Amino acid sequence: MLKIFLTFLLTLVMMFSTRGIAVELTTGIDAQAQLPYWQIKDEGMSLRLVQRLPIQSRAFFLARGFNKQQVERIAQSCVFQTVFKNVSHEAEQPAPLTYNLREWVISHNGKHQGIKTREDWSVEWLAEKVATPVQLAFEWALYPTEQEYKPGDYNWGMSVYDLKPGSKFDLKVVWHQFGKAHSTIIKNMQCAEDINPEPNEAL
Amino acid sequence: MKFIISIWLAAVLLILTTNVNADNDNQTLPKLAEPFIAPDFTLKGEDGNTYRLKDYRGKVVILNFWATWCPPCREEMPSMERAWHQIKDKGIVMLGINVGEDADTIFEFTGQYPMTFPLPMDINGEVVEQYPIRGLPTTYIIDPAGMATHRAVGSRAWDAPEILQQLEELKTKSR
Repeated sequence: MLKIFLTFLLTLVMMFSTRGIAVELTTGIDAQAQLPYWQIKDEGMSLRLVQRLPIQSRAFFLARGFNKQQVERIAQSCVFQTVFKNVSHEAEQPAPLTYNLREWVISHNGKHQGIKTREDWSVEWLAEKVATPVQLAFEWALYPTEQEYKPGDYNWGMSVYDLKPGSKFDLKVVWHQFGKAHSTIIKNMQCAEDINPEPNEAL
Repeated sequence: MKFIISIWLAAVLLILTTNVNADNDNQTLPKLAEPFIAPDFTLKGEDGNTYRLKDYRGKVVILNFWATWCPPCREEMPSMERAWHQIKDKGIVMLGINVGEDADTIFEFTGQYPMTFPLPMDINGEVVEQYPIRGLPTTYIIDPAGMATHRAVGSRAWDAPEILQQLEELKTKSR
């Protein structure tokens, strides 16, 4: 009798222990962008960061109305396509998720720095008297600095790491969910190199 | 003994069922903890007409903020168009407020993504600034009394039965 009861308890512990307690990291080549990605998944969240080539940023921001010098500054600043989701509707307990990019830390060559946020860039664009619709396009294209996601919510945008093309770095990601702060470090991320892919290569 | 085995089987079944449900997409509109009066606006549409939010009092309004360059906005547009065909005669309004782009850009876009619901243009971002929005797309649901009651951040399948039912219920509740 006791043996059966212990087997029952052990089964339950094993089943719950395999369900999203450790942060799962995957890397590889993004099928659509054909560029490297880093993805972390925990019980209630999923974050995917895909490299963006400088040439992609040049094309995008020139089309939004920035001048060549401004576009170059963005393109050379290490941009990642970012998708952050609250997937807690797939977990046992749906719960809101909040984050603030100012809590994230980039470690590069022994130095630590923060993500260059919309607000950081806005100071530069205001000083350079960039036209309002152009600033607006930039602001909305960048990943929100802070956000609250209800279960099922997510955003998609660019995050900027303020590093030279090809730089390697570690990223500490912080988020708040299930009543506590969570963090993990994604090791050995790399900014896209400043290369021009062949015309038939997908971006 | 039979009792313990029954509990054990029930627990295993419960956990397995939860795992199956985990694969389903969440197609619901989260309720706002604190509903607020939706700020009024008057905007010119891509079609040349003028759209004023107050004119839709008494109806449920789906107020979607989007841009042509935004991938998840593009992703949800076909489902919005399909939903529009199902709701437009049921007292539910859909307004797709474009943020920061002009009529030519939107016109070109609608050549690829047919959209027949109104597309007011917030060229200088004056309307989007009045709403608590940090990323595109964001959609607010406004009840017939003019209160923003639900918010979806990111794309949704707007023609999903769960969402259409939620919208219908909002309309019915107000009667």
